Order: sequence, then C-alpha cells, then structure tokens
Amino acid sequence: MGEQWVIDGDDRLLYSYDAFTLVKGSPFLVVLPGTEEEAIAAVRHLLSRGVRFVVRGSGTSLSGSTVPTQGEVVVSMTRLSRIYEVKGMEITVGPGIANALVSRGCPSWLFYSPDPSSYVVSSIGGNISHDSGGIHVLKYGTTSNNVVSLRVLLPDGTVEEVGGTPFLDPSQIFVGAEGTLGVVLRATLKLTPKPPKRRTVMGVFKDVNSASRAVVGVFRVGVIPAAMEMMDRNSILVVEKSRYRAGYPECGAILLVELDGFGADEEVELVSKVIEGNGGEVRVPKGDEEEERLWKGRKGAFAAMGVISSAYLTLDSNIPRSKLPEVLEGVYRIASRYGLFVANVFHAGDGNLHPLIPYDPENKSSIQRALEASAEIVRLALRAGGVVSGEHGIGIEKLRFMEDYYSSSDLEIMERIKGNFDPNRLLNPCKLLPRLEGCKAKDENLRILYKRPLEVE
Amino acid sequence: MNECVHCGFCLQACPTYVVTGSEVHSPRGRIMAIKLGIPSEGLETCMFCRRCELACPSGVEYGKILEGARKANPLLRITHRFLEDPKRLYVALRVAQVERVKKFVPSPSKPLECSEERPDLILFPGCLTAVTLRGTVERALKFLRDRGFRVKIVNACCGLAHRGEGEVERAEELIESLRSRFGDLKVISLSSNCTAHMKEKGLRVMDFGEFVVESGVKVPEVGGRVTVHDPCHANLLGITKYTREVLKRAKIEVREMEEPSFECGAGGSNFIFQPQISDTIMEEKRRKIRKSGVEVVVSTNPSCSLVIAALGFKVVHLVDLLAS
Repeated sequence: MGEQWVIDGDDRLLYSYDAFTLVKGSPFLVVLPGTEEEAIAAVRHLLSRGVRFVVRGSGTSLSGSTVPTQGEVVVSMTRLSRIYEVKGMEITVGPGIANALVSRGCPSWLFYSPDPSSYVVSSIGGNISHDSGGIHVLKYGTTSNNVVSLRVLLPDGTVEEVGGTPFLDPSQIFVGAEGTLGVVLRATLKLTPKPPKRRTVMGVFKDVNSASRAVVGVFRVGVIPAAMEMMDRNSILVVEKSRYRAGYPECGAILLVELDGFGADEEVELVSKVIEGNGGEVRVPKGDEEEERLWKGRKGAFAAMGVISSAYLTLDSNIPRSKLPEVLEGVYRIASRYGLFVANVFHAGDGNLHPLIPYDPENKSSIQRALEASAEIVRLALRAGGVVSGEHGIGIEKLRFMEDYYSSSDLEIMERIKGNFDPNRLLNPCKLLPRLEGCKAKDENLRILYKRPLEVE
Repeated sequence: MNECVHCGFCLQACPTYVVTGSEVHSPRGRIMAIKLGIPSEGLETCMFCRRCELACPSGVEYGKILEGARKANPLLRITHRFLEDPKRLYVALRVAQVERVKKFVPSPSKPLECSEERPDLILFPGCLTAVTLRGTVERALKFLRDRGFRVKIVNACCGLAHRGEGEVERAEELIESLRSRFGDLKVISLSSNCTAHMKEKGLRVMDFGEFVVESGVKVPEVGGRVTVHDPCHANLLGITKYTREVLKRAKIEVREMEEPSFECGAGGSNFIFQPQISDTIMEEKRRKIRKSGVEVVVSTNPSCSLVIAALGFKVVHLVDLLAS
C-alpha cells in the first residue's frame, strides 16, 4: 500500500467522528487499502498483532458505530468501490461504493431499492453493517432483504463466501452486525425492476394524530405504498429554512406517499380518499420537478437540522403503526418538558420514528438534556411495543438501552456469537454489545452512554 | 462553520474525495481540520469548485470557510500577479518553460484590444480567455458588432483564483477596480466562473449566454450535437441554464455527460501545483464526458476548456458555435 494511504499524522484525527458527533474518538492511525488484496493484508496484519480496529465506509453512521473510541486503527474501505459484475438481477460490488452508485451502475431497467436518506454518499458496506433502511423499506425491504451473498474476512484471518441459500442464510449474521463479526469485502446485492409508474400524493393535516390515523387507513384499503413518510410542523419548518426548501405548506403534519407499479393511479385514488377521510387535504405535485423537490426536502431533513442547531441526536425506534398518535404525543410532552425543539420526520409507513433532538455541543447541560430526553423517548417507544433501533444501529449511541429491551439470555446469546467469531474482541470493540469491561471512556459524553458515573475514573 | 453537522452529504460532490476516498481530501474533513487547527494536506488539494455547497443541506458556506483558511505561498502570489494583467500573462506564458503549463496552454496569443467610441457595452473575456482563446474573443466581438453594438474590451482579472487561493484581500481590490472600470455599462463575460464570481460580489455582469437569452438577439440555427460541461461556479449560481437555452434556440442537440458540473480538474492553479490529484480528476472527467458518446464539448470557462481540450475532446465556447 502506498505511503499516502496510511495516515499517521494529525490528519488521522479527521477520522475521529462519523455523523454522530457527540463522542469524539481518536484513531491510532488510518489505512485506506486500494484493493481487496491490500485490505486483506492490512486486516490480517492487525489481527496477527492483536490490534483493535474499526472498519469504516463513508462515515455517515448516526449511531457512532465507526467512531474509534478506544484509539483503534481505522480501516477505510472507501477505495474498494468497484462494480465487479452485473448478472441477471444481481450486482456484485466493493463495500466502499456509495449506495446511489449501485443503481447508477446497473442496467437502466433495474435499481437497488434500499435508500437511506444518506444514499448519495453512504457506503454499501456501512449499509450492510447497519441493515440500513430508507423510505422504500415499506415495499421493498431493508438491506437484509436485498443482500444475496457476501465475501467476508473473518477475525481468524480466513476469507469466506457466504450466503446465496434460501434457508438460514449465513450472510445474514453480518447484516446489522456493525462490523463486530467480520469485514465485508464484497457484496452481491439483489436488484429490483424499476416500476413502470410512480406517483406521489401529499396529505396535508392539521396535526400528527390525523396523519397517523391516515397511515393505518392506507393499509386497511389494501395499499402497500412504495414509501409513506411523515413530517411534523417542526421538521417542515427546518426544511423550509434550508437549501432543500420544498414549498411544504405550514401545517401540523404532512404525509408524503409514493405509489408505484401498474396500479399506481388507482392507488392514488384510494390513498386520497383515506387522506380526506381523516380530515386531510390532498395535494398532487404538478410535474416531475415539484415531485422531486418534495422528496428532496424529506431526504435532506436530517442534515437540514444544521440551520437551527450545530448538532442533533436522532433516534430510530420502530413502533406499531397504531401507536403512532400516543407515542408522538408523548414525544412532544417530553420535548416540552426539556424545553427542546424536537422535529419528527420519519418512515411512518413502517412505524419507524425519527425524532431529531438538537443540542449545543459546547454546552454540557444542553447535552445532558438531549440525552435524558432521548432516553425517555426510547423507553416510551419500548413501552408501546417498539424496538431500540429500526435502522441506524446501536453503535455507541444506544448501548445504554440494550438491557431495557433485550433479556439477559438474549444478550448472552449475542455474547456467545461474538465470542465465537472474535474471541479477542478486536473488531469494532465497545460497540453494539453492552458488555463494556475494558472499554475506556475518557470522553464525558461517552461515560453517559456507557451508563457510568460522571466522576473521573 | 457551526452549521456543519458532519452528515457527509458533501462527500460525493467533492472531486478530490471522489478520486481519493479520503476524508482528508473532503469538504467535511477540511472543515474539521480548520476547526481543530490542523495544517491538513487537504487544505492544499481543494479545487475550490464549491460543489459541496450545493450538496449541503445545512447551508454551510464552505467557500468562505476555506478562503479564510488558505494562505498563498510566494509561487501562487506570483502566478496571481501574472493573471492580473493579461498582457503580462501572455509574455509569461510565452517564455514559461514549465511542462505542465505548456501541456495545457500550447499556444498563447496576445489579448485582443478594441475600444470603440461611446461603447454600448463592455466585453470581458477574462484573463485566461484573453490569452488562450483569442479566437473565441474575436468571434464574440464580431457577433456583437454584427448586431450593431459598439464594444469596448476590458482585459483584466476578476480575482477568483486569488480568492480561492489565499489572497482574499487582493481579490476584493480587483473586484473594486473592475467596478470602477465597468461603470454603468453593460458587461458581457466570456468566462462563466468569472461571471459567477463577479455576480457574487455584486458586479452587474452577464454571462455571454445570459446576454443572448435576455437581450433576445437573433441566434442562427446551427444544428448538430454537443455535450455540455457546466463550469463549477457558474453551476453554483445557476447561470449554466442560459447556455442550455441558447443551445436550444440554436437547434443544437445536447447529449448529457455524466454529472456535467463535475470538476474538470483545473481547480484554479491546482493543475500546475497539485498535478497528481489534478490528473486523476481529469481522468474521471474524461470518463464522464465519454459517457455522452459525443466528442464536441461546450465549455464557457477557459481553464475547463483548456483541460478538456488536453483530454482529447473538441472544445467550443457558445459563441464559437453561434459564429461558425
């Protein structure tokens, strides 16, 4: 590997964060292998020396799963971004390729369906490690539903091809493992035929309650939308202040619904009736330009939080759709108790919440408030029958909730799996699993996430 | 700078990131380096195309952050001084024995002069256009005179390179000097990134295509097929739409290349001082242009035109098409 691809000077500190900036890491050094062979050699070298490392893609994790909290070596896979093969409705790519470039690189009648909001930049390796979702999960499934097989470098140094079987597919264990079990070297992904028609309907509602009822109503009339997204008043406000200004109306909530396939026009009729039946007003974009603008606003909503705050936390609990009204109401109650401007912009169709909680990174009490409020929100979601994380991963952000959701035997099984794959705990240590012995937390915010007392250790 | 939430949406918009995959050579990394006070290598490699600003949902003004952090070294300062006076630039380019320069500027010419009495408008070629694309300036002059305008040519520099490369104050001086030289006259620029820079600084300047569209001057039916490169700063300000409109009026078919506004690789003076990364970007640009399947590239900015020509394509300015 050329010298320029090993960063050991101050520039390595640029790898201290991903998109979760609450905790600052500090990598020992950064390597950027340019080929699969280089990646294998570099990782084997680290394994043989017993050096802990973090595998990183584009660094867009929202849960901090690529932050080198323990002074690890960072192995950046961004240069492994080749498309190796397109065969039938499958594509084989390097882990560093940006999600959007997969669709761009496949035959024009196909596309790669999982599209997290960060799809323009986030890497396939990262998508696999987080089991990333996105707005089209509702109809086309998450990353796990779209991985055919993987080439993985295991912590014992061997390279294995896994997957491609219809029953108990072994590739699935690496999907959502956040880089704790193996290093994804190559991925064969499922491609989907592009729907012949695509229509967008926007429902304008006076509040999130009526919008939530409409969400359930859409399924009751037998429609599975390609996407169904909700934005509340605060998130509309944020987007309208940003570069992704979409011309959303001022209202309590909007639902953006995408319908595709041959029946799209009929589904537009059905969904429109549901919107109106729940007190909403139906708006259909005039032309492609407006339609694109409406979706761009949604996709840019997270990052657009920058216009009101330089940092924010985002949670991603999934809850049953029928519980949306009461949980959203609870979120607002918690927000107002903590005096926070919480914006909700989320995958309503699959009940995947995304409250965005702003904080001032320079202000300890602001951080404290945001963290406490987010803990209350997650617990509220769990009480409503939800899960800790729907798509952003546990990383370091949600370690503190693992024991609230999983039983001790669940966690024990996860530990056994980890122990079998990576007995020395060299791969992405101190993430995902709440067993944190030997994990250092110099950073005060990290101590909160580790549920440790705040005094000096 | 505080608007940056580290989301990374800028990464794929950045040419140096696209070809390196390295955070060090990304807008997010550079902002972080400036925040942490690290004299990062990445601060040198930025092409100053500001495409990241269009990708940024939080509205981070990357250009302003970077221009404040860069300091021009003596070599850059000298380069900038030459740009300021196209006549001197011509002499410098004639005697320069720098291989890199000769590769992209094989045959410099003296700037075209023209100063009619009581001019209706000013033709502003831009410093590099004046000495490297004299034919284009001649055709522009003829185009305007044929339509009854009295023209004065102002050969000068807008200071965009200065701004991007650590001489912000000098850039301001150059803008002010142009402001007084332009006076109340209508100004037509042949260099779209300079147009964009001058517009951002409040000068009333029209890009050539913009003038054609807004003034409604007659456009010949030219026909044929081209692909279009959108110069970065012009793209940032949205004035590249005029180029497309003029092509439409001239009945010229456009076959789009991949990401028309992707950096050409010139990057201010980077094509001289950062040859390695610059060349990799040029290769990427070549690949993107090839995807159009067309060999004729419309470029309305001189550094882009020189680079794309060196990549082996036939490059034309809008005015070259209209005048031919």
